Amino acid sequence: MKRREFLKKLGVGALAAVGMPYIATAQARPVKLATLLPLTGPFAFAGNASREGFVDGVDYVNEVLGGVGGRKLELIVEDTGYDVAKGTAAFNRVVSRERPDELLFVYGDSTGLSKALAPEIARMGLPYSATSFANELADPKTYPTIFVFGPTYNDMMEALLRQIRLQKGRARIALVYSNTEFGRDPIPYAKERAKALGMEIVHEEVTPPAFTDATPVVLNLRRANPDFVILQGYVLSAEPLILRTAREQGLRAQFMGTYYSAELALIQRAGPAAEGFTVTYHNAYWYDTLVPAVNELRKFRQKKGRDTSYRPTYYMGSVAVALAIAEAMRRAAQAGKLTRAGLVEQLEKIGDYNAMGLTRGFQFVNHRLPYTKLYRASVKDGRFNAITDWIKLA
Amino acid sequence: MPDLLPYLIGGLANGALYGLLALGFVLVYRATSVVNFAIGEFLLVGAYLTYTFALFLPLPLAILAALPLAFLFGLLVERGFVRPLLGRSVVAVIMATIGLAAALDGVVQLLWGPDLKYLSGSLPNLGFQAGGIFVSSRAVWNLLLALPLGLGLLFALRRSRYGILVRAISEREVAALALGIPTARILAGVWGISALLATLAGALLAAASGVGPNLVFLGLKVFPVAILGGLDSVGGALLAGLILGVLEALSQRYLEPLLPGFTEALPFVVVLLVLLVRPYGLLGERQIERA
Repeated sequence: MKRREFLKKLGVGALAAVGMPYIATAQARPVKLATLLPLTGPFAFAGNASREGFVDGVDYVNEVLGGVGGRKLELIVEDTGYDVAKGTAAFNRVVSRERPDELLFVYGDSTGLSKALAPEIARMGLPYSATSFANELADPKTYPTIFVFGPTYNDMMEALLRQIRLQKGRARIALVYSNTEFGRDPIPYAKERAKALGMEIVHEEVTPPAFTDATPVVLNLRRANPDFVILQGYVLSAEPLILRTAREQGLRAQFMGTYYSAELALIQRAGPAAEGFTVTYHNAYWYDTLVPAVNELRKFRQKKGRDTSYRPTYYMGSVAVALAIAEAMRRAAQAGKLTRAGLVEQLEKIGDYNAMGLTRGFQFVNHRLPYTKLYRASVKDGRFNAITDWIKLA
Repeated sequence: MPDLLPYLIGGLANGALYGLLALGFVLVYRATSVVNFAIGEFLLVGAYLTYTFALFLPLPLAILAALPLAFLFGLLVERGFVRPLLGRSVVAVIMATIGLAAALDGVVQLLWGPDLKYLSGSLPNLGFQAGGIFVSSRAVWNLLLALPLGLGLLFALRRSRYGILVRAISEREVAALALGIPTARILAGVWGISALLATLAGALLAAASGVGPNLVFLGLKVFPVAILGGLDSVGGALLAGLILGVLEALSQRYLEPLLPGFTEALPFVVVLLVLLVRPYGLLGERQIERA
C-alpha cells in the first residue's frame, strides 16, 4: 500500500471511529412519554398507582417488545399535587426542556388541568391524553391531538341510563355530584337523555368533593324517593360515606357510579352498604385472569421482583395507555413518520389493537373510545363482577 | 319539625367533629398566639396512628393507644419547630407551620404509602331509632366525645392549676417566666393536647370513611370555626363548630336547590357576616386598642 493510500484509509477510518458514536447516539435517541400525575395531595393514591402502571408499561415495551422502532421509550414523571397551577407549571417545564422530536406524548391529570392546557396543546400539535374523561376533550375539530382513552363521562351516563331503562322503564333518578368540573361534566347530558328515555330526574344534589357527614345528602334523597341514584365527581372521597349513610337511613334506591368509583377500595370502605353498587368500567381488573395482559403483567412484575398483589384500576388504565401509545409509535416508526403528527395519524387508526385484552380495542370515535362494561359490587366476593358485555355507546 | 330534626341531629354531630378539631387549634392560639396551619396534618397523623394500632387492636383500644403517641407527637412539634422560633415574628412561626404541614404530608405518604386504607373494626354501635328518626352511631360518638371533652377543657382552663398557668402565660409570658412558671413545659403540653384532640377527630373520621391523604381537607374547616367562635375562646370553638355544622346541614336542605354549591362557601359567608358585627367572634375576648 502506498503511503498516500494508507493515509487516505487511515483518515476515513479515523473519521468513522470518531463519528460513529455520534451517529449511533442519534439513532438511539429515545422517544419520550411525559406524565403529569397527582403523586402527592388528596389523590396521591390514584396518581401513584397510575405512575406504577406507566412504569410497568414502559418497561414492558423496552424489555419485552424491544422498544419503539429500535428506540428506547423513556418515561418522564412529574407531580401535579392535583393542582391546576402546579400541573400547568410541570407541563411548561417538560415541553420547554424536551426536544419536540423526542417528546411525542403527554398524559395529564384532571379535567381542570386538561381543559386549561387544551388550547396550548392544540397549538403545539402535541398528542395528549389525561386521567379525565371530560366530554369537551373528545373534540377532534377543536383539539385534534387530544385523545380520551375511554368513554367520556357522557358515554358513561348513557350506559348507566340504558341499564336503568332495562331494570325499570319509567325510573325516578337522582343525580348526586361534586361541585367540580369533573362532577358537573355529564350532568346536562344525563338530564336531557333521561328525559328522552322517559325517565324522571326527581332530585339533584350538589356537594363539595369531600365532606365528613352525608346525613343531609341522604335525607334529601329520602325525601325525593328515587329508584336510582347516580354519583359523579368523587374519587372514593365521598361514595363510601354516602352508601353507608343511605343504608343506615333506610334508603332503598340502587346506587350507581362511573369509572372512578369502580375501585375495590370502595367495597372495603363502604362494607355491606356497597352491595349492588353498579359502575361503568372499561379496562380489565387485576383479578380478570382470563385476560392475557393480566397474566403477562403478573409474570413481568414477578420477574422484576415487583409486588404482584392486587393492582388498582388506575394502574390498569395507565398500562393500557402506555401500551397503546407505544404501539402507535411503533406503527408511526414503521411508516417512517415517528413524529407528533405521525403519532396522531396512527392513534386514529389503531382500532385493531387492544393491549392484550386490557380494553375492547382502541377504536377511537371522535377521539374517545365509546365502549364500556357495567360491573356490580359483590361484598361477598369483595370485588366488582361484570353484569354486561361491552356496550357500544356511539 | 319532625322533618327538620334529623338534619339538626346530623348537623350537630358533624359540628361536634369540627368543634373537636377547632378546640386544639384555639388552645394553641390562646396559649402561644401561633396560628397552626398544620392542624389538618395533625388530624392526618392521628388518623394514620389509629389505623396502625387498629391493625392488631380493636378500634376503641387502637384509639386509646394512639392518643399518648399523638401527645408525644405534639410535644415533638413544639420542641422541633415552635420553640426554636420563640421571640421571632409571628410571620416566621406561621411560615414554619405551613412548612410543617407540607413536610408532614410527605412523611405520612412515605411512612404509610399513598394507598387508601380502611379500618377493619368499628366503634361499638350506639345508633338508635327514636320517634321515627334514626340517629347514627357516628353521630352519637361524635357528640359523646366532643361535648364532654370541650366542656371539660373549658372547665380545666378556668379552674385547674394547669389551666390557670396556661392562661397566665397567654396573658403575659415574660411575667409568667419571672414568677417561675415553667412556660416551656406547659406550652409543650398545650401542643400535645392539641395533637391529641386532632387525633380523636381523625379517628372518628377514619372510622366513618377510612383513612387517606384527603382527610387533611377537614383542616380547612377549622379556620372558619375558630374565627367564628373567637380565636382565643375554647368555648367559642365548640359553639361555632356546632353552629356551622347545623347551618351546613340546613343549607344542604334548603339553599342548595336554589344556589348549587353554596354550602361549600357557607362557613366563610357566615364568618364574614358575624365579623362585621362582632370582629372578635362570638365568644372571643374583646380587645380595645387606643392610639
